[in-house]
Amino acid sequence: MISKMRGWIGWIFFLDMLNGLALTLGYMFSRTITMQYPDKQKWQPYSRHRGHHFLKTNDEGDLNCVACELCAKICPCHCIKVVPFEDHKGNRRPSVFDIDLSRCLFCGLCEDACPADAIALGQVYEMASYDTSDLLVGRDLLRTIPGKVEKGGTVVGAKLIDREGVHVRETKGEHDWWRRVWGRRNKAKVRLRTHHT
Amino acid sequence: METLFAISVMVIKMAVVIGVLLALPLPLTWMERKIAAHIQQRLGPMRVGWHGLLQPLADALKLMVKEDHIPEKADRLLFTMAPIIALVPPFVVFVAIPFGDTVTIFGTPVTLYLTDMNVALLFILGVAGIEVVGLILAGWASNSKYALLGSLRTCAQLISYEIPMGFAVIGVIMLAGSMSLVDIVNAQSGWWNIVYQPVGFFVFFVAALAEAQRIPFDLPEAEGDLGAGFHTEYSGMRFAFFMISEYIIMVLMSVLMVILFFGGWHASLIPLPGSLIFLLKVCFLIWVFMWFRFTFPRYRYDQLMSIGWKVLLPLSLANILISGMFFA
Repeated sequence: MISKMRGWIGWIFFLDMLNGLALTLGYMFSRTITMQYPDKQKWQPYSRHRGHHFLKTNDEGDLNCVACELCAKICPCHCIKVVPFEDHKGNRRPSVFDIDLSRCLFCGLCEDACPADAIALGQVYEMASYDTSDLLVGRDLLRTIPGKVEKGGTVVGAKLIDREGVHVRETKGEHDWWRRVWGRRNKAKVRLRTHHT
Repeated sequence: METLFAISVMVIKMAVVIGVLLALPLPLTWMERKIAAHIQQRLGPMRVGWHGLLQPLADALKLMVKEDHIPEKADRLLFTMAPIIALVPPFVVFVAIPFGDTVTIFGTPVTLYLTDMNVALLFILGVAGIEVVGLILAGWASNSKYALLGSLRTCAQLISYEIPMGFAVIGVIMLAGSMSLVDIVNAQSGWWNIVYQPVGFFVFFVAALAEAQRIPFDLPEAEGDLGAGFHTEYSGMRFAFFMISEYIIMVLMSVLMVILFFGGWHASLIPLPGSLIFLLKVCFLIWVFMWFRFTFPRYRYDQLMSIGWKVLLPLSLANILISGMFFA
């Protein structure tokens, strides 16, 4: 009886609609989950991410790679080209180490096959280019490109730079003023975060 | 000399009103997109200007340079006339609307309205009704099934909801004893009309949502089942005319609600200039309209009709009866 009465009273005073309005009002002043890539923020992938390849170096500053060409053999899309040579220390090293990123499928088999722990897939994922010839990356670029980054799975500050090469540069993290004002109140209530830790 | 002065004041006031009304859709589209975004936990436009403030200008530019397409089988004269017929009445209506009390500028009293008509309310409801003609013409002249169905729905909806809307304001008229909007506002210098007329306000608010074709009553342009209703075939500036007209009607409905039920420029507790208080109230109501839009789904067509005829009409009639017995 009471629940029936409540239903009627609710129907008369539009309780269901008011509930809906209260919900959307809460969301209106809650933290937004938009990541402002590439203007202000950027996603830093987890360290397990398979992104742009990089070549590791040893303590002496030489490449780990012994140019055994196992990576080129196992590559399912034949996008690695290795040409060996003998360096001044008498070690077998690659004189050419080309990866055609436009054909690579980022399976990581090259990393698994490598006996010298020389090649790995890093967290760099911004490889888009206006020209496919940019996607043919050589030994020296693979050596200088950032390798694994310890912190992963977070949002870092970034800035869009319209220059050749680096397009989005990481900056110190900064926040939007009204997200900071309204975000605090609903942080506990709305459990949607930009980073899933 | 005095006539010249009066005429020039009038011309300046008209220019200001028209300019503000033409510019108003720009910030309103920005506001609508921001509110939509924040309700959906997004940020909305952020890249053009500070927090996307210049986004509406970019949109307006896009609409201006877009191809102005007229369908081959369309009635060209009516097709080009319809947006203008839809655009003009919402502007004309603002002739009768007061935005504040008399202010003194350089020692001369200037009224913050163009005219103080003695039949202002009747004039507003009548002229606002002409807008439907533009929408019907748009649907008919497009020679498209979606546009035609959309305009038929618009027609039915606007006519059905103008009746309860007209009845809802009768209670207010009885309280003020006048149809002049200035008198109605001045009658609310004590308690606002919403205290005496909650049912009238409810009916007026729902009917205003329907008149402004806002969710939950945006059936005329129900994109799910009609494409875009009567403006399916319109593009570029002609479409922009319809959009401006819709936004102006939303502003008009908010302004009318403030004048009729929320005491216009009266607010005894807040020490602010009257016109600013008026503006704040109007902004709040526009915000409420947008908040509603992104909260509720759309009513079905039969539900729309039964709400109009079976709920709002009897409610407004009962409101007239009760107001007449106890307040008048």
